[in-house]
Amino acid sequence: MEFNHLKTGKLLFLMVFTLLITLSFAAEEDYSNYIVENLQVNDIPNDDGGGLVLSWKPLPKERRIIEYRIYRGVSPDTLFFHGKVDVNVKTGVSGDELFYYDSGYNMFVNLQSPGKLKKEEQQSPESPLFLSYPRDITVSGPRLKNYRILGVIPEKDFYYRNTKVEIEEDDETEVYAGYKLRHFKYLLKKLIADKEYFYTVLAVTESRKFMPHAKIVSGIPRDDSPEAAKEFFPVFVKDKKILKFEWTRAIFTTDHSNHNLYLIHKDDLETFNDFVQEQINLEELSITAKEDSLLEIPEAKYTNPAKLIFTRYSGYPYTANNTVSIPIKDNLIADEENEIEVEIDPTEMTDYRFVFSFADWNGFETFSEVKKAKEIYSADLPKLPAEWKVTDRADDKGDYNTISWGKPSVLLTNTSYLNEEKTKLLVNYDVYTNKNYKTIKNVYFQVYDMHGNMIDEINEFYQDKKIKIKLPHEMNEITFKMWIKANGYSGKDQLFTQKLIYDENSKSMQPGKLYLDNEEVNRFSYSIYKRNYSNEEWRLSKSTMGSQRELFDNIAYELDHFKSVSKFDLEKKLFLVSPTFSIRMDDKLENSIVANLYPSEQKKSIENYQKEIEKYEAQKDTASAEEIAKFDRYIEHYQNQLKIAQENPILKTAAEINGKKARLKYLEKARKIGSRSFEYKIVKSDGKGIFTESEVYQAEKIGNLPFTKKTRNSFAGLGKNHFYPLPNWFQSNKFATLIATLIFGYLVFTMIQKAKKGKDLYIRPIAGISEIDNAIGRATEMGRPILYVPGLSGIGDVATLAGLSLLGRVAKKAAEYDTRILVPVRDYIVLPIAQEIVKEAHYEAGRPDTYDNNSVFFITTSQFAFVAGVNGIMIREKTATNFYMGMFWAEALLMTETGSMTGAIQISGTDAVTQIPFFITTCDYTLIGEELYAASAYLAKEPLQLGTLKAVDYLKFIIIIFVIGGTILSTFHATFLINSFPEK
Amino acid sequence: MKRQIPLAIVITLGFLFVIHTFVPHKISQDFYDWFQTWIKAISPFAVFLGVMSLFNVHRTKISRRVPNWQYSVITLIGLFFTAFAGFMWGTQEGTPYMWLFTNVQMPMSATMFSLLAFYIASAAYKAFRARSAEATVLLVAAIIVMLGQVSLGAAITKWIPETSRWILNVPNLAAKRAIMIGVGLGMTATSLKILLGIERTYLG
Repeated sequence: MEFNHLKTGKLLFLMVFTLLITLSFAAEEDYSNYIVENLQVNDIPNDDGGGLVLSWKPLPKERRIIEYRIYRGVSPDTLFFHGKVDVNVKTGVSGDELFYYDSGYNMFVNLQSPGKLKKEEQQSPESPLFLSYPRDITVSGPRLKNYRILGVIPEKDFYYRNTKVEIEEDDETEVYAGYKLRHFKYLLKKLIADKEYFYTVLAVTESRKFMPHAKIVSGIPRDDSPEAAKEFFPVFVKDKKILKFEWTRAIFTTDHSNHNLYLIHKDDLETFNDFVQEQINLEELSITAKEDSLLEIPEAKYTNPAKLIFTRYSGYPYTANNTVSIPIKDNLIADEENEIEVEIDPTEMTDYRFVFSFADWNGFETFSEVKKAKEIYSADLPKLPAEWKVTDRADDKGDYNTISWGKPSVLLTNTSYLNEEKTKLLVNYDVYTNKNYKTIKNVYFQVYDMHGNMIDEINEFYQDKKIKIKLPHEMNEITFKMWIKANGYSGKDQLFTQKLIYDENSKSMQPGKLYLDNEEVNRFSYSIYKRNYSNEEWRLSKSTMGSQRELFDNIAYELDHFKSVSKFDLEKKLFLVSPTFSIRMDDKLENSIVANLYPSEQKKSIENYQKEIEKYEAQKDTASAEEIAKFDRYIEHYQNQLKIAQENPILKTAAEINGKKARLKYLEKARKIGSRSFEYKIVKSDGKGIFTESEVYQAEKIGNLPFTKKTRNSFAGLGKNHFYPLPNWFQSNKFATLIATLIFGYLVFTMIQKAKKGKDLYIRPIAGISEIDNAIGRATEMGRPILYVPGLSGIGDVATLAGLSLLGRVAKKAAEYDTRILVPVRDYIVLPIAQEIVKEAHYEAGRPDTYDNNSVFFITTSQFAFVAGVNGIMIREKTATNFYMGMFWAEALLMTETGSMTGAIQISGTDAVTQIPFFITTCDYTLIGEELYAASAYLAKEPLQLGTLKAVDYLKFIIIIFVIGGTILSTFHATFLINSFPEK
Repeated sequence: MKRQIPLAIVITLGFLFVIHTFVPHKISQDFYDWFQTWIKAISPFAVFLGVMSLFNVHRTKISRRVPNWQYSVITLIGLFFTAFAGFMWGTQEGTPYMWLFTNVQMPMSATMFSLLAFYIASAAYKAFRARSAEATVLLVAAIIVMLGQVSLGAAITKWIPETSRWILNVPNLAAKRAIMIGVGLGMTATSLKILLGIERTYLG
């Protein structure tokens, strides 16, 4: 009868399936409604000519689109998959237009790219759409020229896995380092300015049907002027005759070349505005002229009347300093390096205006708003902390420096009422400190009413970041006076005041501004700037609020080299990059010290510099005055390079090393010191031009550095003002853990020795463990199987290991009694281990014949599907005894309650605190927490196992002593004991 | 040798990882990261062990025509069809694999999970029966905590939410921490036993 039902069911299923298939084929879909419309490609403004933005009209929600796929190419007949925009099929796209920005570097080829050129899915042979660029160099190699390509090469591969490739170019032999594709982490691509790119977009439906693509359109990225600084603040410090400037940073900085400041006399303002307007018009014309060759660009009528008073390199790709102080000496602003000499009368500052500009590599310049300088006195400037330090951060792998300044600060952060009468207040606070004042002993709070009467006083000897205040009655405003006592510091010279003011909207007291003496602490922020041996400009490490007292500066290990890739070798299947790499800049921060992967090429570079110098010297004889000046600059550059190549100690030492690998190792190390050693300065600023900048930090004495004297001599100031983060061999905050581990180890050995000598170690009886034998016996008597679930966690969980240890004992006993044991497993790595344990248990019991490999089996990794499986086994097999030993989550109760309903005797054990109550409720016996780990030892009754168990008890006793001692001492304000333990 | 080599690997690596805990040096971190990549590379192979186990168990049931063997047929069809759908059409949104996941596995898992509410009610009934003084304390505490979680508790008296918070934050937390200390020590002891080769049951 059952079989007949099955047959009928099958027949019905087949009929419905056939009908659905027929209907789906019969319905001819009209895909024209699925084609993306209004696809447009436009240039992204204010960028470096490497960005285009695509926009199109998204299809209505009813079309059930899950993604839009974007394809790009340099001709309309071959477009490669470029990227996609995912769409929530239920909500669709809410706007009328969908945008996709093709800017910056994105993936060109990596190891996950298709091996060969492949058509996109579901495309006809005529379709121009292909999957992304393939790994095949015959396809991707010739396309390198269509983009700016950046190769990301892991450090080891860059130095040691290259092939020297020589290419004849214009009667000269150029040397490249060749790498197989597998040596690149990835090759990235970016659009080239003024080159035409073609795009299309197609929609993919919920059933992953690729719809016809949109009409192919094209766009040309243009390099245009940078965006203007949104805000600019010129300030004049009258008594010191110093000009101070601060400006907001730009969002797109990729092609910024310089940051410039100009001085304009008020009489020249009109001309300056005309000049700026003319520059804008000329830029527009120059872009139009690229598309219309007949268009003539007129000569510029105006010259810039503003005088350059400051210029510096933008510092890209890092975040550059956005402040500068310019002193006026003898009515002059002078900068010899940049050939600046501008007259200015500080007594007539109102006659002058200032303007800031971002300039790019293409010569475009965008000016900020023209502003008058705000006049202040030096007393208005913020004061820098008297003491600040740069040190290596402890307990790290050598990737952080610590910058600490000032004395600890305290800040009220939030409040809440504790009673309806609003007379009890819970106030949250934060303490900011640094490594110089690591141990905060007390935080004192004095609370005053509006009339200056003290209403409460609190001494926080243990800082739990909250205090309770009692008010005599409901109040709208109270004032806190706060100070901190730390190790070796009384704190009374740093009195912080902060008000709590009742806020009607939130119906609570809200913290007001924090003051230290008369200075509003968080009006000013601290910006930490740093500079290594490899860059001339300072870069921002981090900005923090005024109450902060410490900052960890991340100095990540350099894992990759970034190299431009424009050539390839088809025969050897290599992508080619320049074999040169920068070690550092010279001491004057003017020239890069460049090394070559190949020693022979390093030697040749000296000859090349000499040749270049001779070439330009010869050309000077017939050149114009303007050309001679240009050639002189070239000659100076090559002379500098020649000097570096011949005299630089790093390159000289490298040249003396014979082995190729040893030479590169030395250069690699030098490069690391150059790029990972930083000098620091602090800027305290209000963000509006009122700021104070510190000197570069200098250590009082040079610490121990793991470098040879020769290496240290190659880096002036290393350890004095340049700080190299050192890796640590011991994590000092784990000292207490180490001591506890050693004590525990000692206890284990001592107890084992005692147990071996036959000393009777008393072990507290645990009902759950002593009942295991009875439970197995019950299953034997009833002739039903035993179910053993070793938890749902993986083998990395100690609870699983404890569960498996116990499985061995239970399986052995079951084998002795000839009772079947079923072990369902959720983790497939646990499976073979559990099988081996049960098999071994049968062998030990002398019953290898009764072992069935299928009795230990995998069900599924899905949590609730596993529960369904186990519950099914309990009901079908009518198991007499169920063991649950290991790690369990929400499924615990589902299993044990089912077991309880089937009438099985159940013993469970887990360290999952949240599941213990469920086990206690539904199981007959439960091993709570550590009892699970002890179970195996209880059953084994071996001296080795019992010794460990006893040691745990002793250590627990020691911990209890510390807990009680810590509690008593803390109650009497003695916090040294609790502070001696790490928080985490 | 069958037991000695795995034991030697466990002891060596175990001690290396203990050292790693106390050594933040880059060499130690790099070794750990390198080892993690090996684990990631090796563990997928174990999937085959799981699949083979599942296949063998159900194949045996089908071949022996044990009661309800038809369920095993469905299990194996489900196993192979899901794998086939994943390999054939991928696992992205919109593929048959994802359809099976969203429309078959997810609702079934949700069904099992939602049963938990009824099981909790049943377990709570068992736990809260006031058969002894301890059970009565449990019952009273449970009522206060439950009422403290809903606005009704505060409506009755402001002491209910406060008592509920106290129960959770003081006696409950103290008991939890006591268990956690025990668990921590138990884990350390078990790890030490494995490291020293005292506990070898897991080797089979």
